Amino acid sequence: MSDSTLLSKVKTVLADVFQVPEEDLSDDLVFGDLPQWDSMGHMDVMLSLEQNFGVEINAETIGSLTSLATICAYLEQNGNA
Amino acid sequence: MPETTLEIRPGVTIPEHLVGEVRSKLAYVDELIGGAEISPAGDLIHLYLQRKPSADEIQALKEKTNRVVNLMARGVIQPKVEILEDRLDLPLPYRDDPLEALTRRHEIHQEASGVYTLGPLVTRLMDYFETRFLALANHFDAAPYRFPTLIPARYLSRVNYFRAFPHSLTFVTHLRSDLDVIDHFAAHAVADESGRINMPADTYASIETLLSPAVCYHLYFSLADRKLDSEYMVATAVGNCFRYESSNLSSLERLWNFTMREVIFVGSKEFVLENREASRQYMQTVLDEIGLAYRVESANDPFFIGEFRRQAAFQSAFQLKYEIRARLPFRESTLAVGSYNYHQDFFGRHLNISLPDGSPAHTGCTAFGLERLAFAFLAQYGLKRDDWPVAVREGAG
Repeated sequence: MSDSTLLSKVKTVLADVFQVPEEDLSDDLVFGDLPQWDSMGHMDVMLSLEQNFGVEINAETIGSLTSLATICAYLEQNGNA
Repeated sequence: MPETTLEIRPGVTIPEHLVGEVRSKLAYVDELIGGAEISPAGDLIHLYLQRKPSADEIQALKEKTNRVVNLMARGVIQPKVEILEDRLDLPLPYRDDPLEALTRRHEIHQEASGVYTLGPLVTRLMDYFETRFLALANHFDAAPYRFPTLIPARYLSRVNYFRAFPHSLTFVTHLRSDLDVIDHFAAHAVADESGRINMPADTYASIETLLSPAVCYHLYFSLADRKLDSEYMVATAVGNCFRYESSNLSSLERLWNFTMREVIFVGSKEFVLENREASRQYMQTVLDEIGLAYRVESANDPFFIGEFRRQAAFQSAFQLKYEIRARLPFRESTLAVGSYNYHQDFFGRHLNISLPDGSPAHTGCTAFGLERLAFAFLAQYGLKRDDWPVAVREGAG
């Protein structure tokens, strides 16, 4: 999957979780930038990534995947999308 | 006292690390429940009931119990366990539950479930521990504050407290400002044998205020919708806190009404984390002098069922909470007597507290439950002062 395709797919997932239009999600989005991306929102993102990309979510990943960039980098290496 | 037992095999096996959390939440499943136990393997639940249930009640109990287990345990993420200090193996001279001796000597008196008056022995111990906590606060040049016991519902609502901890709320009300209602109450109100006042619910005004569940919230609320004048602040306060724990209320271990001392940090992420760590290191020396057998380990707050799985995993992943867990030799278990907490910018964002540069403030606190610490100390050293470590004997004598 190309970088831009993966980025677009992750944005779709985040937009669905946060209930915002995809165009509202900038490429440098990080945890806390949106009111919806709080602790509960973060865990919703993690569970949604698990379902959509088949990655394993554990305490390490929860603590590290706090930006669109780190999510994409992690999925690039570990995802089954 | 519970009169009958109901066995339930949950649809999901409860992982070992969740057994205690799920057991404590089962107290809120139904008013019939007087206690609960879960097998170590997590595959069998015993509910101790106040009376024999009907067939419909059994069905409802099973459904609600399984709902709790499913919400808390299904797909749970294994927490990252981190132990920062371990003094659990310290040799201790006492092995009995101090509650019986304290009661026999009239050093404590139970007024209601989870509500105790404390006599001179426990009070002097708590006062001594307070001197050590005040020294900790002075070490950080913390500004002293005094907060009310009551807390407005609108504030707790703003920080999502109702969603996270609905089970532990304690509400405050008063008679409606209506002469007929007040006259009727004055003429007819009595507390019956169970302790309940025999008046209908519409006697009371709607609820706008609660009893405060934590000390530091008051500071954050006082800073709401403000830009701080300085880049950081440190404050300290002691206060009465209230957390209802249903049938889990027990001894001085789980009080409905307890006393908490906090040292509170507000500033940048780096400031809060550095000072949380500095307070832990400071307290390590204090706890050693006190002679406490304890461990500092990662922990999570007791979120309610629907929030538990996600919030607890989040706290664990970001290392937001560490508890000081003191050993209770009579039960071979531990009791949380304090905690080191980091809230990230949760309060800064939800309450619009900003630093001089406009960014949301980060917050954290170091907190101690005074009754619990006194109880754990007495469980480890007993009631005879001669058996106490020198620092405590001299300080609380």
